Amino acid sequence: MAAANYKHDNTVERSFELFVLQEGEKKITEKVVSGMSNCSDFLLLKEDHTLGNLLSAYLRMAPHVMFAAYKIGHPNVPEVLIRVQTDGSITPREAFLTTLKQLVALYGQLGREFQKELALRKYADQSENAAADAAGPSGTSGQNGI
Amino acid sequence: MDYDPMIMDDAEALGPVVKISQADSVRVKWELSNTDISFANSLRRVMLAEIPTIAIDLVEIEENSSVLADEFIAHRLGLIPLNAEGIDSLLYSRDCDCDGCCEHCSVRLILHAKCTGDENMHVFARDLVPTGDRINQVLGTPIINDSEGLGPLILKLRPGQEIKLECIAKKGIAKEHAKWAPSAAIGFEYDPHNKLHHLDLWYESDPKAEWPPSEYAAWEEPPQEGEPFDYDAVPNRFYFNVETAGPLPPDVIISEGIKVLQQKLAGLIHELADEGGDGGVNGDGYNGGGPRSPEYGAGAGMDGFNGGYTTPFGGAAAGNQSAWGGAGGATAYGTTPYGAGSSWS
Ligand SMILES: [Zn+2]
Repeated sequence: MAAANYKHDNTVERSFELFVLQEGEKKITEKVVSGMSNCSDFLLLKEDHTLGNLLSAYLRMAPHVMFAAYKIGHPNVPEVLIRVQTDGSITPREAFLTTLKQLVALYGQLGREFQKELALRKYADQSENAAADAAGPSGTSGQNGI
Repeated sequence: MDYDPMIMDDAEALGPVVKISQADSVRVKWELSNTDISFANSLRRVMLAEIPTIAIDLVEIEENSSVLADEFIAHRLGLIPLNAEGIDSLLYSRDCDCDGCCEHCSVRLILHAKCTGDENMHVFARDLVPTGDRINQVLGTPIINDSEGLGPLILKLRPGQEIKLECIAKKGIAKEHAKWAPSAAIGFEYDPHNKLHHLDLWYESDPKAEWPPSEYAAWEEPPQEGEPFDYDAVPNRFYFNVETAGPLPPDVIISEGIKVLQQKLAGLIHELADEGGDGGVNGDGYNGGGPRSPEYGAGAGMDGFNGGYTTPFGGAAAGNQSAWGGAGGATAYGTTPYGAGSSWS
């Protein structure tokens, strides 16, 4: 019967070229924009709106950043271009790095907040169940003793 | 007991605020506020498309006398949710040194059924049997949540028909194929009264009468009669409904989503700081934010996040191991959010 020989199936190779860097590719490269002061383009390979929108939005909120925007030149090409212009007191790269670090910290904070709220939610649910059990006719008290 | 999340939020009032309205083994409904829409949306996108799980990717069919074509069955097998607990220690097979696949980058499952009775036979996901060495005892096991313990129906056999095949399940992300998506659906909404006019509701005569209000409409102030449009308003409260398809508990989907996003960002920091040479962190073996990386060389370990870069920024994911029993999913708060007795496993 039909049998697939995966070792010779090269179509499999192509399916993750959307998000895995090829040999020699760099995730991010900076290109200084000539003719405009304090302005750089950052090219992100194998990325999409997830980072493009996030980074350009937070760069726009960052101090000393005068302009930040992103584009994805073609929907089939997994490359994001982010242009950043600063007021000159910091370089675009510094602004970019600061924003990246700020976002890592913010998501870390979100993770901690979430775990904290989840524990509280569980605790509240358990207490509710315990109360319901105790109120019921066959309530066994202290089962969820916390 | 009533629980008021606001009591504890003062300490970190400047960052994202979380409020959970429902959490069980299937879904977590929560509100994210005090943050930008791009922050919320990037998390949504990552949870949908970039959390690694495991799914059947290759099928070798030895015998198929059922009425269904080989490729049709292979496609159905791919969509069967498999347990992804411990996926961090499984390699992507494209990163593995082996030729094709091995126990470090795949899980083998066999299916063999023959209808010997005189009634049609149903073949279910529970009939898929993992074989050979595995990273742990659950990784790659089909998810069975129905009360009869059957799992999804794969195919039916008439008397005398037989199916015999071997599957290779691999690690992947939903950006490659939706079968790797950990979530069944992720609800995401904001501005239930459409005050911001981000929606242009179609209607016959009256949108208010024709569009039922969202369940979150009661959570926010409705617009006043004749209220002028606020041009400076931005969305600030985002309502998530994360529902799992089975591979990972819903709260783990959220914490994994945060982790994946942090890894992407941290990868950029490393490369950008390195490139500039301005006292950069020398990422030892850390290879970019791509979905192949961090666990690569970061050593095994269930608590994922820590790899080469716990970094000065964020201290990240303090509670990421979470929920999922595993090696003692105790959080800092003592309890394991989901008791070991959940309908899992
Ligand atoms: Zn291998």
